[in-house]
Amino acid sequence: MKLKDWILERFPINYERFVEINEKVFIKEPIPLHYKKWFFATGAAPLILIALQIVTGILLMFYYIASPEAAYESVRYISQEVRFGFWIRGIHRWGSNLLVIALLLHMTRVFFTRAYRRPRELNWIIGVILLGLSFGLSLTGYSLIQNQVSYWATTVGTNSVNAIPLIGKPLLQFLRGGEEVTANTLTRFFTFHVTLLPPLLLLFMFVHIFILRLHGMAELEGKEGEGSYAFYPEHFFKVIILTLFFVATLSTLAVILPPGLGEPADPSTTPAVIKPEWYFYPVYIALKLMPMHIGMSVLMILGVILVFWPFIDEFVKRRAPKLRLNYIVGTIAILTFLTVTIWEIIV
Amino acid sequence: MSQEEGRRSPPSRRKFLAAGLAAAGGVLLSGLFVLRDGLMFLFPPPKEKRFVKYLVAKADEIPMGRAKEITIANKPVFVAHLPEGFRVFSGVCPHLGCIVKWKEREKQFYCPCHKAFFDKDGTVLAGPAPRPLDEFDVRVEGSLVFMSLERSEGGMKL
Repeated sequence: MKLKDWILERFPINYERFVEINEKVFIKEPIPLHYKKWFFATGAAPLILIALQIVTGILLMFYYIASPEAAYESVRYISQEVRFGFWIRGIHRWGSNLLVIALLLHMTRVFFTRAYRRPRELNWIIGVILLGLSFGLSLTGYSLIQNQVSYWATTVGTNSVNAIPLIGKPLLQFLRGGEEVTANTLTRFFTFHVTLLPPLLLLFMFVHIFILRLHGMAELEGKEGEGSYAFYPEHFFKVIILTLFFVATLSTLAVILPPGLGEPADPSTTPAVIKPEWYFYPVYIALKLMPMHIGMSVLMILGVILVFWPFIDEFVKRRAPKLRLNYIVGTIAILTFLTVTIWEIIV
Repeated sequence: MSQEEGRRSPPSRRKFLAAGLAAAGGVLLSGLFVLRDGLMFLFPPPKEKRFVKYLVAKADEIPMGRAKEITIANKPVFVAHLPEGFRVFSGVCPHLGCIVKWKEREKQFYCPCHKAFFDKDGTVLAGPAPRPLDEFDVRVEGSLVFMSLERSEGGMKL
């Protein structure tokens, strides 16, 4: 008996139908012609990077110890003693940075091509949720090292939720596991990082891709009916090339610029120069320049605008059809982000 | 036994609704209890607060206009000898909880996290801090300076 028949006898599905669905959904999925440009592969990039993060993350958990006394030493052990430990950690660390870049590029592409327009508004909102989850994973991730940046990022990050009206205080206590940053905080952040946020990310990613497949890939506005090509082989191999590119790039970065350990956490001294990761610079500047409640309110308003952007854009477009609001807002947002980020890197 | 006798008469609509509502209420109530228990599990029990007197300095060891930094429970406190008397400031920035530094040349406290500046009496000079540096109650007994310190089962707390 052939293996296929053996399996089909025990897993009785209609094989012909299965092949048909597989062909329709994956292999022959029509991809609009403009997706041949690389800038339109930015949706696959986060998917590949998240897969790499999961694999390297699971490997890191074999050695990592989530306790304030042992965490730093376990990360040092991974980086300096475990064979290829620096490489696995390097890929995980650089992967998180590239993931943020890939997500921002993907959002930029969707934003400037108005790919979020009706009926894809819900998928934009899910995308924003995915971005938020990724930031949550990044923050909880670099808090686990238990070095100075970890400790003060945890302190400042959890303290700033205190400014949220009504739920601020209980949320702070929930995140910290008490009133202070203690061992409870580290184990909570570890739990968020490995057991709560990744399944949420996978769930929303699944819904994101499911909705994408239901609608089909978005056509360029004004170029509808440009023609299409099948997912397999061209687009499939594009994703493979992208995967190889990321593995090679991350591997190179991990070898040439392995992430350091920093100074061990010291609750009694904040270093003279302390900054969060680069992608949090806009938040960092807002907290620096504005009183906390105003800063948090501004950030929350910007978040709400981001979530409901497709509807805001549509509302304006109906009244001023020639105004390309997404170009104006997108350009201002990118220039502000770049200016703030480069400014903080230099200063 | 005939079939008619074996079958129970169907409940009236009113009875059915009442039973349904009671069951739903019961499930909801137990759900609330489970939720409450879950929340209680997630939030560690608050510790009983007790204040203790803690010796921080001898009155004659800090000259007028000077301050002494000491570390209690891993956090610094500043014992300052000011014209109005001894004052003890927390070294924890009231903005977002980083540790402030004393800058001797400028005679200012400075927080490196978000660039908040405080005067030597704790008042905000510049930056995003929402209030002056937190202060502790001070009592001078003879030549000794004591501060009031919260103490919980886990140790001192600042």
